[in-house]
Amino acid sequence: MANIEERLQDFFARFLDLSPAEITPQANLRDDLKMDSTEMVELVVALEKEFNIRLKDGEITNRNCVGDVLKTVGEKLG
Amino acid sequence: MKEVAVTGVGIVAPPGVGKEGFWQNIREGKSFVSPITRFDASAYPSQVAGQVKEFDTGNLSPRLLKKMDRFSVMALVATEQALKDAGIDLAKEDPYSVGVFLGNTLGGWLYAETELRDLYQEGRNGVSPYNASAWFAAAPQGQISICYGIKGYSKTVVADRAGALMAVGCAVREIRNNKAAIALAGGTEAPVTPYALLCCTTEGSLSRGTYRPFDKERDGFVIGEGAAIVILEDMDSARSRGTTVYGSITGFGTSCDGANRITSDQDGKGLARAIKAALDNAGYQPGDIDYICADGAATELGDVSETKAIKAVFGDYAAEIPVSAPKSMFGHLLGASGAVDLVGTLLTMQEGVILPTINYRTEDPECNLDYVPNKSRSKEVNRAIVISRGRGGINAVLAVERS
Repeated sequence: MANIEERLQDFFARFLDLSPAEITPQANLRDDLKMDSTEMVELVVALEKEFNIRLKDGEITNRNCVGDVLKTVGEKLG
Repeated sequence: MKEVAVTGVGIVAPPGVGKEGFWQNIREGKSFVSPITRFDASAYPSQVAGQVKEFDTGNLSPRLLKKMDRFSVMALVATEQALKDAGIDLAKEDPYSVGVFLGNTLGGWLYAETELRDLYQEGRNGVSPYNASAWFAAAPQGQISICYGIKGYSKTVVADRAGALMAVGCAVREIRNNKAAIALAGGTEAPVTPYALLCCTTEGSLSRGTYRPFDKERDGFVIGEGAAIVILEDMDSARSRGTTVYGSITGFGTSCDGANRITSDQDGKGLARAIKAALDNAGYQPGDIDYICADGAATELGDVSETKAIKAVFGDYAAEIPVSAPKSMFGHLLGASGAVDLVGTLLTMQEGVILPTINYRTEDPECNLDYVPNKSRSKEVNRAIVISRGRGGINAVLAVERS
């Protein structure tokens, strides 16, 4: 999980053009990372490519924090 | 009614990014039309364009840039230049008294056609979600208003190649009627894309090589890309804060020919009405005008009817007025063209140098005005008009005066 956490932190930093330090598990996607609805759509597609997983509609878009995304991706990767 | 001052200009165009580079290059009468390099245009009859080379996008983040088409990016860069030039910090202004008024013809086509290609090749997941907010004509207005927190009445005008002047005309009305304190007005266009070029080609107005307005051997215009923004405010406010004033916009006139879905009317009567309306709006007599910045579409009907319109309004005096089409140097920026011509005309009045119509070789008996062929000319210009004409007979004319 630690490895996935680092990858996800790096992924979010590249995706949002932010420093890795800003990507904490508590960071709220909308309120802290200022992600709008279109960025959420791109996020799902980018996560699928990055981690070679499939995500259902709404599975990530309704999550609020980076930690929630980590949990979902971690479960997909088994 | 308030007097409308132009206190800042910003420009991203083939001859230069920023007014200094733009002006230095165009005053020399050089051509900034070159073979299209952004994509393979070898199958198109028209393979040249006025292209903006790489340019500094300033503080725009990669996160924002990937959400925008080139026409929005150019508009944002031109806006930042214009605000700096005017010495205005919008964070200190009442956001409800500031508006954005932009002209545009094609929308964000590079973004749109790329995503459409991906839609058909890769399916739904191949399409960027940002296309939803990147492709449409009002996207630059939205991005500018978000970037600067602008909340006043704003408008995007889609009126083909007359869009930018129409937008400036709307902005002038808001300032005059005290509905806005500051207006950001102009146009933006990014037509150097495979589909946009195809549409311009099938319309039948594009040159196969050289843009020669008013020349007997003309064969159409060449497309160009870029953005131009001017800052408009009440003259008294501008003077009270001691900023440089480029000039004032004193009149606006518009008309529709109602003649053909592509071309203008045969006799230029529609355009003549718009010119007359602009002069009347400014309180000018024909003899007051020192310079005309022409549309110069370089189509036979366009050039001849524009010449007829000028003659109809200015009578015998028409032969004495310099009439030039500076866009012959860098291409027709379609929905942004009027704003670029406005900036060029303001700099003409400031510098006392009339920009030329280049590539001019062969006189057309039906176009026998003084088109300032090939070389700039030193001349004091105190009052001028700028003409834009769109497909289907849309005419817009601005009257401007040196301060």
